[in-house]
Amino acid sequence: MEIKKLLFVTKFEELCFDALRSLLGLRQSALDHVVFLTVIERDKVAMHRGAGYRKEEEIRLRERANIRFIDWAENLFVEGMEVGVYIEVGTLVSNVIDAAKDENADLIVIGRSHKGVLETLYSGSDVTELLRRAATPVLVYKHLTESSLVPEKPFERVVLATDWSPASLRAVELLKPLKNVIQEIHVVHVVGDEELTGSNAMEIQKTRKDRRQRLDEVCEIFEAEGITAEPHVYIGDPEEEIEKAARESQATMIVMGSSGKSAFVERWLGSTPQRIAEKSMYPTLLVPPEQA
Amino acid sequence: MSKRVLVVDDDPDVRLFNTTVLEENGYTPLEATNGEEGLEIIRKELPDLVILDVMMPKQSGIRLYRELKTDKALKDIPVIILSGIAEKTFLRSQNALTEFGGEQVPPPQTYIEKPVEPDELASVVKKALG
Repeated sequence: MEIKKLLFVTKFEELCFDALRSLLGLRQSALDHVVFLTVIERDKVAMHRGAGYRKEEEIRLRERANIRFIDWAENLFVEGMEVGVYIEVGTLVSNVIDAAKDENADLIVIGRSHKGVLETLYSGSDVTELLRRAATPVLVYKHLTESSLVPEKPFERVVLATDWSPASLRAVELLKPLKNVIQEIHVVHVVGDEELTGSNAMEIQKTRKDRRQRLDEVCEIFEAEGITAEPHVYIGDPEEEIEKAARESQATMIVMGSSGKSAFVERWLGSTPQRIAEKSMYPTLLVPPEQA
Repeated sequence: MSKRVLVVDDDPDVRLFNTTVLEENGYTPLEATNGEEGLEIIRKELPDLVILDVMMPKQSGIRLYRELKTDKALKDIPVIILSGIAEKTFLRSQNALTEFGGEQVPPPQTYIEKPVEPDELASVVKKALG
């Protein structure tokens, strides 16, 4: 499982060329093709009473996007990379899913959602919707808080949070070939409070030891590939503890398998990976399970 | 029989413009929406000329051009590049691909930065087809 082709989704506000540039370290692994996608929201050009479909506005927005993409593409072409472009009108998530499928992309990169609180509450954010539906790994890119700077090497120090689900194991497969890009991986498992059923310290220590051994096995997989890996067991609320683990290890990115919950349960209760992808200050890469 | 010219561009407005100019000047236009489709049509139809955009989905004009010019059966088909990408960038990208172990390719017959006027397009097509 290699990252050869990347689909870079932008509205030119939350993600710009600096973010893409920071990901070009993946070229040291296998990346050789970047596809740009921007979606002009239908509302901006839709039929208005007395005005009809605003074709001129569509052309203006398309050309504005095209000019930015030409500039970005020129930077990549001269380095011998392959570049593709989609400028679409419609809904973001459907267009991203379609382009990822058509292009057979290995990774989707998207910025954090900018919907309002109420809008998000009722319809879910675009990012959550994408994470729910995508069959391709999704990197939710974040800028370093307030400074608006991008992390220079987002894959340098990775926290891989695992629960040994099929999606978590697929995340291991995705990271394995990135020896030239990743400096160290901190493999983290969070034991929920509810799992600590024993009333004595021995039982709790036993649980810790068991999880630690399983983490060691994951670390050995990375070590065999030449990537430094360290296991860490945390206890408590997964959302809080994974964020804590990222902070403690000075992570540049959190990587997780996406939830194994059913689509119905996820829609109503959400999932830990999706919440982390939305709320964490760290860039978060979610890897879905292999589709049947 | 009129000469057949393949227009490879993902923008439907550009395809319409180019094919209209070609028809008005007595050529038979063929169309493709990306590099991948373009290469398929070139192999199947062996057009007399290709008008090629650079930045497209699936496969860019840069890769299509390289594949065309390194294929013995296709390399003599003349190509006009019509793109928003600067000629200097196109040539530098071809050099970069050559450095990565590829075969050296000749520069395109003609390179025009978008937009193009109908008369200019008709004129370069006529020149390219001899």
